[in-house]
Amino acid sequence: MVKKIKWANGYLWLVFILLYLPIFFLIVYSFNAGDVMQGWEGFSFKHYTELFADTRIIEIVVSTLLIALLSSLIASIIGTAGALYIYNLKYALAKNIFLSLNNILLVSPDVIIGASFLILFTVMGFALGFTSVLLSHIAFSIPIVVLMVLPRLQEMNQSLVAAAKDLGANNWQMLSRVILPVISPGILAGFFMAFTYSLDDFAVTFFVTGNGFTTLSVEIYSRARQGVSLEINALSAMMFMVSLLLVLAYYIISTRSGKNKKRGTRLVLPASEGL
Amino acid sequence: MSNEPTPIIEFKNVGLSYDDNSVLKNIDFELEAGKFYTLLGPSGSGKTTILNLISGQLTVTYGDILFEGQVINHVPVEKRHMNTVFQDYGLFPNMNVFENVAFGPSIKGKSKKEIKAKVTEMLELVKLGEYADREITELSGGQRQRVAIARALANDPEVLLLDEPLSALDYKLRKEMQYELREIQQRLGITFVFVTHDQEEALAMSDWIFVMNDGVIQQNGSPEDIYDEPINHFVADFIGESNILDGIMTADYLVHFTGKDFENVDAGMRPNERVEVVLRPEDLDLTTVENGKLVVTIDDQSFRGDYYEITAIDDDGNEWQVQATNKSKVGERVGLTFDPEDIHIMRFNESENDFDARLESYEDDDDNAKK
Amino acid sequence: MPKSKQQRQLFYIIPYGIWLVLFVIAPLILLLFQSLTTQNGHFTLQNYATYFASGTYLLMTFNSVWYAFLITIITLVISYPMAYLLNRLKQKHFWLLLVILPTWINLLLKTYAFIGLLSKTGTVNNFIGLMGIAPQQLLFSNWSFLLVAAYIEIPFMILPIFNSLAEINPRLAQASRDLGANQWQTLRRVILPLSMPGIKAGIQAVFIPSLSLFMITRLIGGNRVITLGTAIEEHFLVTQNWRLGSTIGVILIVAMVITMVLTRERARKSSRNRG
Repeated sequence: MVKKIKWANGYLWLVFILLYLPIFFLIVYSFNAGDVMQGWEGFSFKHYTELFADTRIIEIVVSTLLIALLSSLIASIIGTAGALYIYNLKYALAKNIFLSLNNILLVSPDVIIGASFLILFTVMGFALGFTSVLLSHIAFSIPIVVLMVLPRLQEMNQSLVAAAKDLGANNWQMLSRVILPVISPGILAGFFMAFTYSLDDFAVTFFVTGNGFTTLSVEIYSRARQGVSLEINALSAMMFMVSLLLVLAYYIISTRSGKNKKRGTRLVLPASEGL
Repeated sequence: MSNEPTPIIEFKNVGLSYDDNSVLKNIDFELEAGKFYTLLGPSGSGKTTILNLISGQLTVTYGDILFEGQVINHVPVEKRHMNTVFQDYGLFPNMNVFENVAFGPSIKGKSKKEIKAKVTEMLELVKLGEYADREITELSGGQRQRVAIARALANDPEVLLLDEPLSALDYKLRKEMQYELREIQQRLGITFVFVTHDQEEALAMSDWIFVMNDGVIQQNGSPEDIYDEPINHFVADFIGESNILDGIMTADYLVHFTGKDFENVDAGMRPNERVEVVLRPEDLDLTTVENGKLVVTIDDQSFRGDYYEITAIDDDGNEWQVQATNKSKVGERVGLTFDPEDIHIMRFNESENDFDARLESYEDDDDNAKK
Repeated sequence: MPKSKQQRQLFYIIPYGIWLVLFVIAPLILLLFQSLTTQNGHFTLQNYATYFASGTYLLMTFNSVWYAFLITIITLVISYPMAYLLNRLKQKHFWLLLVILPTWINLLLKTYAFIGLLSKTGTVNNFIGLMGIAPQQLLFSNWSFLLVAAYIEIPFMILPIFNSLAEINPRLAQASRDLGANQWQTLRRVILPLSMPGIKAGIQAVFIPSLSLFMITRLIGGNRVITLGTAIEEHFLVTQNWRLGSTIGVILIVAMVITMVLTRERARKSSRNRG
């Protein structure tokens, strides 16, 4: 029994080390005095100072965050409306059709989404740039929100709705005072997911970004092909710390509201759920 | 107990704690083969913990558990000759009825033919012969219950452990299953250890009951013993309905409560020892004020089918539960009467051993009882 | 249907419906249309003929499927024990978050880290150099491509398996042991079949994106066009032959649908049993 536990722990450690090795590698080299990710030449903050002096990269970070924030916000609203619509459908067949349509973008390879959106924007005569990237991000975020909100609706106590009706609530009151509060954790989860998807997206953006506008992923891609400066390492180290803080904050919140604990972890990465 | 055969299961001073929280304390008992035992107690009393120790899902912190005389503290679950019927049944949802029941025999490497015969036999036993090909999701609660029993029995266990198996069923079905379980136990002649919080169930089914509270066995005995001679306030209160009053043993066979002395049949206490007096509602009779040993006022009455449940208040303000065959009027003053043998006396903090010793001693010799 | 309910549904379907038509249905139709027409808009099967007549494309298709298959198998073999062991930990939700955390690091950054780790003068070569092995060309090989792709996909495989394992009533493992099965038999006969939905979800979540990876092939696989994803990117953004690119896209979609059908059909059966 003891031996088994040791084996198990060894395996867990091994996988964790593999998962974090590249990330720590990046972070360690962000403090390298040298200019390449090969050969340690001593400790230095110089790549951080370079980073803060690089207005182009800071601009790109800001626009990446802006795209993420706007697209997830808008996707949350449209996705919630979509979830409500699907939830209200009476016939199982209609529900299934809408759900299948909803999931198309979720299961499609990024390359296909990017290529087909590129055709769409070109056919419509739409200039590529900030707006086309934003619209694409909204588009691929909506189905995630729907999938996060729908289970909340389905779990919603039916007598709640009946009671609100009985007490004379109109459509709008019913939505704002009864339904939205109940499903708000799902909307929040959807927003959160959409936000991280947008931040992380490379392929779709790569297709629809055009020449003038760029996001962080696309920028790193184009730099990585020429050989990157360790500035990017400094940036990744900082992004990692932010993610870590977010995760910790999230964990503390979700364990405090103990009841949601189980659901908590499910909302972090639903991409693979409900397909 | 010394001349009896080796007990099938024995607990020797067993205790269990989690992170310094003691869940079970100094548990000692022996179970004879072929009997129907019940562990009875409220939730959190430790009864399911004992069951899990027997089955091997939990391991003792101290003490020994013996199976047919051999210590089995560290024998893994799958190697023990017992099977469990779980409260939530624990049926495998990826298998149908047949596959569920066949699970144990197939693990043991039985041949297809043997497995088929065994499963058929077990499903017949629980009256589900026609249901072999059903999915678990297609079954009602009562049917799932039966599958769980068949599955546990298909392994030919020497001891069947049942963890509140009837608690999810409705009243009528529960009654039916009580009867059937008892019948199955007698037919197969194996030992059953049944866990429940339902005292009625325990009294109806068991050969022997262990009443548990706070991780301690409060009392064990036949259903009659436990009902008639509860050892303390907890047992008296938990098993059946009781009127429990403070009293003083003025002398042997004389107890003082509600301001009066009453003749009774208990002895062996210190003079003027403070005790608790138990009177069961069904032992009390209503009569006229003149004939009553006590005078009470009817406070409330509800019809229960075969009797009236009456709440009455005596002049000291004590509340009395009475089961009466005749209807009364609320507000009416009536007499309350009972026989000396209906009075049961409980001493404070008396252990089970002391209790048994006292009962034996004063029945032989009064003087010896004072120690 | 009462009028108010109709109004409500209309209110929900307008934004969601616009999204469905514009960003789900239209792009798919456009992609199909592109693949089936000539420059002048005439119907043609020429693109498909080109595709199926070309040994390069057929080999590439085979390669895509083969690599996606390998990536899926590797991640599955690593992830199942990981998900299983994680589930037995006390603070399992915290540890799961640590598995998910690397997915929040930009994909490009992680890929970029591997360039540093695997390059000829990189850390891995220095490390094996200590053991007296001459520096190897690790980067730009099929193995490095598989390694990085598997690394990226592991969390997406662990999560659905973890969720399906977490949903299994612990009582069932107890019951199995109680009926005489040892730990291994319990895993094989009870836990594994019950976690099948998670495995299928994981396969979907890994296999489909792996079919079309192009960024990793470009950066790690050595800028060779070896998968369908790279071919699509090449045709859309480099050679500007959208029609052939769309054709490959349609074929990729067909491959994706086949995967979905294969994994879903069996998933449905077990979900019926799961009730």
